[in-house]
Amino acid sequence: MMPVSSRPQDSADRIYFTLVALIGGALMIYFALVPVFGLNVAFHFYLMLWITMASAFNVSSGFSGYLPFGYVAFYGIGAFTTAILVKKAAFPVFLALPFSGVAGLVLALLFAPTLRLSGIYFGIVSLALAGICRLVITNMPEEITGGSFGLQLGSRAHPVQSFYVMMAVMVVALATILWLSRSRLGKALRATRDDADAAEMMGINVPRVRLYGWMIAAFFPAVCGGVEAWYTNVVDTETAFNTLITAKTVIYAVAGGLGTVTGPIIGAVAMVWLDELIWRQFPLLNLLILGVATVALVLFLPRGIVGSILRRKPQWRRYVP
Amino acid sequence: MSIAIETRGLTKRFGGLVALDGVDLQAAAGETLGIIGVNGAGKTTLMNCICGLYRPDGGDVFISGERVTGQPPHVVAHKGIGRTFQVPRVFRKMSLIDNLLVPVLDHRASDAELTERAEGMLARMQLIDLRHNYAEELSGGQQKLLEMARMLMPDPPIVMLDEPFAGVHPVLCKFMIERIEEMSGAGKAVLLISHDLTSIYRLSTRVVALNQGKVIAEGGVDDIRGNPAVIEAYLGT
Amino acid sequence: MELLILNGIVNGLIVGGIYALVGVSLTLLYGVLRVVNFAHGEFVIAGSFFAYVLFTSLNVPPLLALPVAAISFFAAGWGLYYVLIPRLSRSDDPELMSFLMFYGVSITAAALMLLLFEADSRSIDYSFTPISIQVGPIYVSTARLVALAITAVISAGLALFLFRTLPGKALRAAIMNPEAIQIVGVDIVRLSAFAFALATALAGVTGVLVALVFPAFNAFSGTEYTIIAFIVVVLGGLGNPVGALVAGVLFGLAEQMATVFLPQALAQIVGFAILVGTIFLRPSGLFGTSTKK
Ligand SMILES: Nc1ncnc2c1ncn2[C@@H]1O[C@H](COP(=O)(O)OP(=O)(O)O)[C@@H](O)[C@H]1O
Ligand SMILES: [Mg+2]
Repeated sequence: MMPVSSRPQDSADRIYFTLVALIGGALMIYFALVPVFGLNVAFHFYLMLWITMASAFNVSSGFSGYLPFGYVAFYGIGAFTTAILVKKAAFPVFLALPFSGVAGLVLALLFAPTLRLSGIYFGIVSLALAGICRLVITNMPEEITGGSFGLQLGSRAHPVQSFYVMMAVMVVALATILWLSRSRLGKALRATRDDADAAEMMGINVPRVRLYGWMIAAFFPAVCGGVEAWYTNVVDTETAFNTLITAKTVIYAVAGGLGTVTGPIIGAVAMVWLDELIWRQFPLLNLLILGVATVALVLFLPRGIVGSILRRKPQWRRYVP
Repeated sequence: MSIAIETRGLTKRFGGLVALDGVDLQAAAGETLGIIGVNGAGKTTLMNCICGLYRPDGGDVFISGERVTGQPPHVVAHKGIGRTFQVPRVFRKMSLIDNLLVPVLDHRASDAELTERAEGMLARMQLIDLRHNYAEELSGGQQKLLEMARMLMPDPPIVMLDEPFAGVHPVLCKFMIERIEEMSGAGKAVLLISHDLTSIYRLSTRVVALNQGKVIAEGGVDDIRGNPAVIEAYLGT
Repeated sequence: MELLILNGIVNGLIVGGIYALVGVSLTLLYGVLRVVNFAHGEFVIAGSFFAYVLFTSLNVPPLLALPVAAISFFAAGWGLYYVLIPRLSRSDDPELMSFLMFYGVSITAAALMLLLFEADSRSIDYSFTPISIQVGPIYVSTARLVALAITAVISAGLALFLFRTLPGKALRAAIMNPEAIQIVGVDIVRLSAFAFALATALAGVTGVLVALVFPAFNAFSGTEYTIIAFIVVVLGGLGNPVGALVAGVLFGLAEQMATVFLPQALAQIVGFAILVGTIFLRPSGLFGTSTKK
């Protein structure tokens, strides 16, 4: 029998899961209906993509305390994996996409030694490794990667299908991160982020825990890259390894607030919407505003939207996913 | 009584500086071993070598008779050793409950059971009302209590406390002394580090005095109290 | 073959001089403020555009643009410091936040240059007479030799400043021990602002030299120079100005020799590989003591 003292915990959990159901349900119903009601499929496709990217990035930054400035490497590898498999090996797209995820995991394993580094060293090395990935792919034989023209996937584009696949990826990503945030692995990651040595002396296998977090953070962008390649029907190194992809991911996640599940979702929704608005009004100012917004965020809202609210209302932490 | 923890010839160098120089010590279950020495004597380094944070340059560490020298800290921790830190090292952006769960994450018990145990522990440390706060929101003294609670969560047979009373006001000091007495009363081997002699003399069954990384005296409280080498180390030079 | 190698050495020294300046300014900034300026490359390219504008619209030759750039960028850096840094240091996690902020600054700077000059590559159509000078058996463009001389003068000046003057010594002291210097009564905020302004001025001046030495630049060239600056700073040891100067020249030489012997793409990868390798094998740089961090 549960003692009386655990009741408040139960009721907190009830609120928490109600919120999860409400936010999750609303998101899913809304996105599921986008093609049905003829809303802007492209806009919502990218919204889901950024929600996924920002949320996965949160596993690396918010939960594990790394800032990978070369995050785009996973996305780019995923994009090229799907494109090459579909175009050169005649894979059906649905079979190619899981391989994108695997490519992301393999890359994460290759980069695993960098997890020994911290702070600035990690950030710089990550940036350099992404540069190496881009150069390697750019200089691969044209028969494989299509050289500077990139790869056309041919007539396999199917916007609505890829839209729903993107949605499935987003749902799996959010479910994974929701699980992670409450799991023992998630607690181990957070402890490691706050004080790795202390966590290790408390019995946490720090290298292993970090590796698991890192692989989760790498898997989803790689799949995103694959789905986007399918959606746009073309990949090339300039766009697939564009540092702006890292920039947007980081900014959207930070805008919402690192460390919570809802933060990156809210950040991505707010910023993608803002981006679209600005893009329509002043297409040339887009990049400038992205940059200024980042600086402003750091200076005036360093904890992000959700983080700032929870800072004011610490007692809500238990209820907010 | 069975030896819970033992070091033999433990040596650690930082560049040219010999921080530990062939340290031998033992502590049995239920015993409180006080480790004293002036600042820089090597007390914290000793603890770091025992729990695997530093790799010793010589000598060995045994836990319940098993050699653990050179093992990574998480492996050593699982042999049944817990510790606190001279300057508290709490998991700043985690709730107190979650802080306490960290050392027991790989235990079989269910989350509900562990949470309940954590709440009991927080109640004992008079931190229960703050259980959902982040650890960084605690005062320095409260962080020391949180560390103690966290250390006790897996119920380790050996505990090491690094300067638990430093910078702690007298009321809290008394509270902590009682908790430490409970630990040895429960049969744990306690390694208690302090440069402050009064509390050590009160709690310890035996005392080891370190100076410049060497054991300069060892014995019962009364032997140490009058030992000329100890007095010289504290007063002289 | 020997000619190629000789060419590689001369070009390596010239390019290396520029890399040394890019690196030394970034390392000064890191040393004093403990922030990593991701926008450093953009500041450099802004210097190139500065010289470009002065030349094309006011007919100011690049050599005259140097002091103008130094003064303007110094002032801009001083102002930027007070806009960006004081608020930053009040945040929860200043290190992480400083990365993000300078990331934003770098995007902003690139976007501004893109708006002003579009994406095309620009170059300054200025030539010295004679166009090139014979050095031993090879010909080197006069512009490049002039740039080399200027980097040498600036480096020497900087070294003199750091080791012989009071503000320079204060800067070095701040790099070594930021707490102690406050106790001694140095106004750390003013000193930091000065370091920021000095680093920005050096970046601007370096940009003018970039416009002299390299065939072209565009709004997006900044990233390249940021990476080069990282390589140089890491090789020289974080916060070690003399290390950065030496490392810059060494890296310039290595890069130019690599282009002699390796295909272009591979030569680029070599740079990244040096960066990653150094961080793993010698995190304190080529000249640092071997202790980690
Ligand atoms: N990580 C380290 N690197 C270099 N020297 C260290 C390190 N840790 C401790 N020391 C040196 O070892 C000696 C013993 O330090 P410590 O064990 O902290 O002393 P105590 O805890 O007895 O005050 C001191 O001289 C200290 O400076
Ligand atoms: Mg100590």
